[in-house]
Amino acid sequence: MRRSAGCSWREIRQEVQPRAMSRQGRCRQRLGWLKVGLLFLGVVLAAWGIYEIVYAWETDRTAVTAAVHSDPVCGLEPFVTDGVLTQQWVEGVINLPRNATLMSLDLGALRDRLLAHGQVRGVVLTRNFPDKLGVAIQERTPVARVQAADASGRPQQLLVAKDGVVYEGIHSDLPMLSTLPFLDGIKLVRAGTGFRPIEGMDIVSDLLATAQLQAPHLYRSWQVVSLARLKENGEIMVRSKEIPVVLFSRKDDFFRQLSRLDFVMDAMRRLPDPAIKTVNLTLGSQVPLTPERPPPELLQLQPTMSNQTKGKRAL
Amino acid sequence: MLSSSGRIIGAVEIGTSKVAVLVGEIARGHSLNIIGLGVASSRGVTKGEIIDYKAACECTGQALEMAEKRAGARIEEVWLAQTGGHLDGFYNEASVNVKSADNTVTAMDIAHVCELAKEKELPEGRTRIHELRRPFRLDGRTVPNPEHHCGRRLEVGYWIVHGQQSKVSDNIHAITGHHIEVSELVLASLANGTLLTTAEDRAHGVLVIGIGKGITNYVLYRDGHVLITGTVPVGGEHVTNDLSIGLRVPQAPADVLKLRYGRALVQTRSRDDKVWLDGALTIGDRQFPRLAIEQITAARTGELLEVVKKKLGPAFVPEQVGGGVVLTGGTAKLPAIEEAATRVFGLPARRGEAPPWVKEELRDPMFSTVLGVFQFGLRALQESPGGGTRRHPSFLSNLKKIFIST
Repeated sequence: MRRSAGCSWREIRQEVQPRAMSRQGRCRQRLGWLKVGLLFLGVVLAAWGIYEIVYAWETDRTAVTAAVHSDPVCGLEPFVTDGVLTQQWVEGVINLPRNATLMSLDLGALRDRLLAHGQVRGVVLTRNFPDKLGVAIQERTPVARVQAADASGRPQQLLVAKDGVVYEGIHSDLPMLSTLPFLDGIKLVRAGTGFRPIEGMDIVSDLLATAQLQAPHLYRSWQVVSLARLKENGEIMVRSKEIPVVLFSRKDDFFRQLSRLDFVMDAMRRLPDPAIKTVNLTLGSQVPLTPERPPPELLQLQPTMSNQTKGKRAL
Repeated sequence: MLSSSGRIIGAVEIGTSKVAVLVGEIARGHSLNIIGLGVASSRGVTKGEIIDYKAACECTGQALEMAEKRAGARIEEVWLAQTGGHLDGFYNEASVNVKSADNTVTAMDIAHVCELAKEKELPEGRTRIHELRRPFRLDGRTVPNPEHHCGRRLEVGYWIVHGQQSKVSDNIHAITGHHIEVSELVLASLANGTLLTTAEDRAHGVLVIGIGKGITNYVLYRDGHVLITGTVPVGGEHVTNDLSIGLRVPQAPADVLKLRYGRALVQTRSRDDKVWLDGALTIGDRQFPRLAIEQITAARTGELLEVVKKKLGPAFVPEQVGGGVVLTGGTAKLPAIEEAATRVFGLPARRGEAPPWVKEELRDPMFSTVLGVFQFGLRALQESPGGGTRRHPSFLSNLKKIFIST
């Protein structure tokens, strides 16, 4: 839109120099400044008030308790877990004070109390007004067992999760636990009331999970899994009921190694004397075997040949 | 465009004889409640123009202070009446061809023709006061609102009122010197016309003449619209001046004689009829011939009205001024001024009377301009987009205003 030519009176500057201003004008101007000052002060006070409320909310929870109606907590509801822990156990751990109201509870501290147990991987606590505390727990799943001595020196069976956390299994299913292999070749280091997580458990749990899923008939016979050579050689040693030593390499795909082991086991069963001492799966497609008792004719023909070469020939 | 609602507004007239201030409370943009009044003798103003800023500012301050005291409220903004010999006006018109294929006039056509008609440039140092639209004409016929009508050619004319920028600034600064914003300027003649005439008068055509102390302003309406406005730098003080010269008396007694014995038409026949200046037989009191007083005042009043008629020129067609002549202002109190106007213009004339809603104390012609300022402003508010139901200013705009006002 075009503008009208020639300026309008509205474009005339209305400001007047203070010297040309009347006494009333100066008085009005001061009042204007006062208004602005009061407005600024109001804004500052409002901001300060908001800051104080937020600070009180975040730091002093009891200060705002009275603002919310809440009765003494009378139970955990809803209680949800993806594992085996029971509501009674959780109640025992968090140990709510009598007549405690929802707003007086320090949910952070309660959460830390539950997380101190290795079996608990994650916790969400919610206030369900007026008087219920909601608990949702995620539990760790054991992948192996480990034998350790407790504080008094008595032997104690602990569980190891996929992330290497060692914990005392609470309300665990004993028949299921008996299927888990024991860990060997590890050093349990105490940290507080528990132990430090075991390094390399992610690789071991990968092997165990693959075996459990893809070759359950092999996994069932596994008794001990040793991590002794894992750090230096990248090898996991498994002791099963049928073969005393099976060596897996972390560098190769576990599924492929398991399939080779399966093939070896099948071939071994067809031998007249199936007793094998060692199966080494760390060399790729070549799988050296060490028989318990080498055939006497082979020993006579090639007395200098290594056990491994013999095993390869046998295949 | 006027811009206020729910606020304390001051209507101010800085005249040659007095400064008048009315304080009004405007609620919801359409209802006016007058709550205060202030009047102070004017100083530093000649023929409606400020010649001594300090003196004018001081007397304006007195009137504002008095009005605020009586109102018990602070004036937030001022609508200021504008008068003076520097004001002038011209007519400019424009026409456009209707754009749409079916020849229906659209809002865009109207906006375009209006912009063209207002486009005329002003001489250096002049500033626009008002742009007063005359009726639209569509293919030669007058239409109040041409939108959606069918036609080929749309025409409109504007009467553009302008004034000398420095003098308008002086007037504005006489108010802003008291730290009050001037939000509207209203031509004094328009204010008078709006207050003293009805819509019917304006539709029939009416001439409103306000005769002040130093200046006379006029407005001629036709078909409900302003046809022409103007000022004549002659007023009541010229009559006083002539009496002073003719009777050989100082200005003050001459003014007394004008107010007591002056007439717009000569009535006295006898040369022996004499009047006392004071009448209390005090020392220095003397007698003056009534006939001479009447002759001088009648001659000057007649001349003044003749000048107005001359300035109206061909725009004044008595047959198209069915509403007659309305006279207002201090000098319009002269007896027989209606007859004098009737003789000059050949039309029935009357003294302007404030509408019935105006309180008794405000019915004096000296307040007609400030009352008219309110009326004109309110009407403009109602006619503006959104009318009286305009939204209140936002918090941010109020905040901005506080900062600007400091």
